[in-house]
Amino acid sequence: MSHFYVIRRRGADALKMAIAIFFLLPLFFTALVSLRPETEPVTNGNIFFGSEITLENYRRAFIIAPWGLHYLNSIIFVGGTLLVQLFTVTFAAYAFARMRFFGRNFLLMAILLQLMIPSGVLLVQNFRTINILGLFDTRIALMIPYWGSAFGVLLLRQTFREIPIELEEAARIDGANLLQVVRHVYVMNAIPAYLAFALVSVSSHWNEFLWPFIITRSEEIRPLTVGLNKLIKTTDQGAFYGQLMAGTLIVIAPLVILFIVFQRQFVESFARSGIR
Amino acid sequence: MSIDKEREPDMRLRNTLFVLALALCAMTAGAISAQSDIVIDFYFPSATANDAEGIFQRYADQFQEENPGITINPVFSGSYTDTRNTILTELQGGGAGPDVAVMLSIDLYSFAEEGYIVPAQTFIDAMDDGQAYVDDFFPALMANGMDEMGNVWSIPFQRSTPILYYNADLLAEAGYDSPPTNNAELVEIAQALTTDDRDGLLVPVAGGFPIWMYQSFAIAYGRNIVGDDPTEVYFNTPEAVEAVEFVRSLGTDLGVGPAGGAAWGDTPVAFLAEQAAMIYHTTGNLTRILSGADFEVGVWYLPSGPAGEDGAGYGAPTGGGNLYIFDDGSKSDAELDAIWKWVMFLSSPEIQSDWGATTGYIASNAAAWETEPLASLALEHPQYGVARDQLQHAGKEFSSYATITIQGIINGTLESILTGEAEDAQAAMDAAQAQIDGILADYR
Repeated sequence: MSHFYVIRRRGADALKMAIAIFFLLPLFFTALVSLRPETEPVTNGNIFFGSEITLENYRRAFIIAPWGLHYLNSIIFVGGTLLVQLFTVTFAAYAFARMRFFGRNFLLMAILLQLMIPSGVLLVQNFRTINILGLFDTRIALMIPYWGSAFGVLLLRQTFREIPIELEEAARIDGANLLQVVRHVYVMNAIPAYLAFALVSVSSHWNEFLWPFIITRSEEIRPLTVGLNKLIKTTDQGAFYGQLMAGTLIVIAPLVILFIVFQRQFVESFARSGIR
Repeated sequence: MSIDKEREPDMRLRNTLFVLALALCAMTAGAISAQSDIVIDFYFPSATANDAEGIFQRYADQFQEENPGITINPVFSGSYTDTRNTILTELQGGGAGPDVAVMLSIDLYSFAEEGYIVPAQTFIDAMDDGQAYVDDFFPALMANGMDEMGNVWSIPFQRSTPILYYNADLLAEAGYDSPPTNNAELVEIAQALTTDDRDGLLVPVAGGFPIWMYQSFAIAYGRNIVGDDPTEVYFNTPEAVEAVEFVRSLGTDLGVGPAGGAAWGDTPVAFLAEQAAMIYHTTGNLTRILSGADFEVGVWYLPSGPAGEDGAGYGAPTGGGNLYIFDDGSKSDAELDAIWKWVMFLSSPEIQSDWGATTGYIASNAAAWETEPLASLALEHPQYGVARDQLQHAGKEFSSYATITIQGIINGTLESILTGEAEDAQAAMDAAQAQIDGILADYR
């Protein structure tokens, strides 16, 4: 191994380290502020721990919102959404990848178009629909708009198209029906794409605020983001940054832990499914 | 539709779909339930450090005990902006909306215009002693709840006003025994207390919403930017221009605070950390500041203007939230009766006293200040009374037709003047006034 090579590798490592630290900084300061006493603001030359490390901010955050309940609600919301999405995107993706029917390209374009419309624009119309269905303030109302996913359909359609048609033909000859073909040939060969889709779906719905906030009124079904909103009190009293950061960490903790545990799988699945 | 391999989807797929559809129907049915009581949906924004939900649940329980047959359903609705958007989305989407909601006192015209709310005046007229009920509120707090004809639309609930907080220990050290009473004294004291690592005075006008604090100066200079008529705005008067030039000079020539002003959220924190000797902030923060300070906290009227005949130059806007009653004409007399009872209950001296003492908002009627727990709290901490007494110098908070748009224009103009981007204040304000008049012309 040449001397030059070693230097180059060290340099690359240092660069990676710098980038990692850069991206971890916000998280680091969130944790730091959440542990500082409320009365000691971050100022020039005084950015670390303050006079003591305190859990007071966490205690106050726990008084203001029932986090256990919100956790349960978020898990049901995110899990219920993902579960149905997996079914709908699988069959839609199969249809677009392998079936021929009238208006296929037009429909695909329509779905693509939906990716470009910001969801806020549809707020009032979606509310109207939910209201007509009599679902206002229910868990189902939270999930329904997300049960179809344009992103999921497009991602899986691409993945399915790359799976050799010969595999499906072989399965058909062996007597497999449509469901068996989809399950054994397509789903099994697209696990990395599913993982990537699940990650995007879970993290985006975990962080979703506006829709759950507008469509629910009962504390019993509201997710974490609505709880976090209770800590944002800038209107009349100025910011309680310590509490807010404590609440933020409470909300993002499961995602961060999940990511650290499954880091390798996530990165691999992203690399394989072609999203970078 | 035909499949590549010309095969029909088999029965199992159809069965699966059928089961899914069944499950959907079952879940829908579960969502519909019956209610026999009159239920009042009450939306409230969170704008306080306390556990607002717990407090409202306590009020609801007490009310329900006194009024069997009525159930109060308190719903947390986010910030004031969230509350407004939630309610608008719900009503535009054909939803039921709230029965009673706490919204900004300046939201009046936008909701009245759409026909979503009904005037409280109807209910007041039906009372035996309606005028006495209205007269109990501090007049400054009623200004934003009334239209130009003098009809009462909304009832003051969680009201605030900006006041001057000062570090009495620092003032005493510098030889000042009493707080400033006009803006010349304000500048003098602020300059005496400014050091390398301490600001003499922080006025939170940075960060996109300078209008509220600015109004204090405009009023103290002698001319509020808004009057009784919701189609008139007075933004380019000599007083309005002088006021903004004074605020700008605090951060430039006078050098007592940061150029462009301080940020809203950081201001009380800096005061508590003794990085600022005096601050302008809301009374909504009184409880937090009194309990968080290691020094003697003084509170005084905002000395924003030049000395008048009596040597004082006070002025402040009011702010905060009122109780609004929602009805599209479909509610029964029994429901409306229950709604009004709840509004009366929340604005009663008993509840206002409790709410004021727990949150720091100004209890909105005089009787509340004679009622426990606020009576003894005000005795123990005279600072609470200062906010109330400042109301005699207080003016109306900015509100007009197309409030949100015009407020946006004013905020943008003020910000560009304060940051120095627009050097000529008069020219910038003339341009803004012309734009505002163009918008309001449609309403005249």
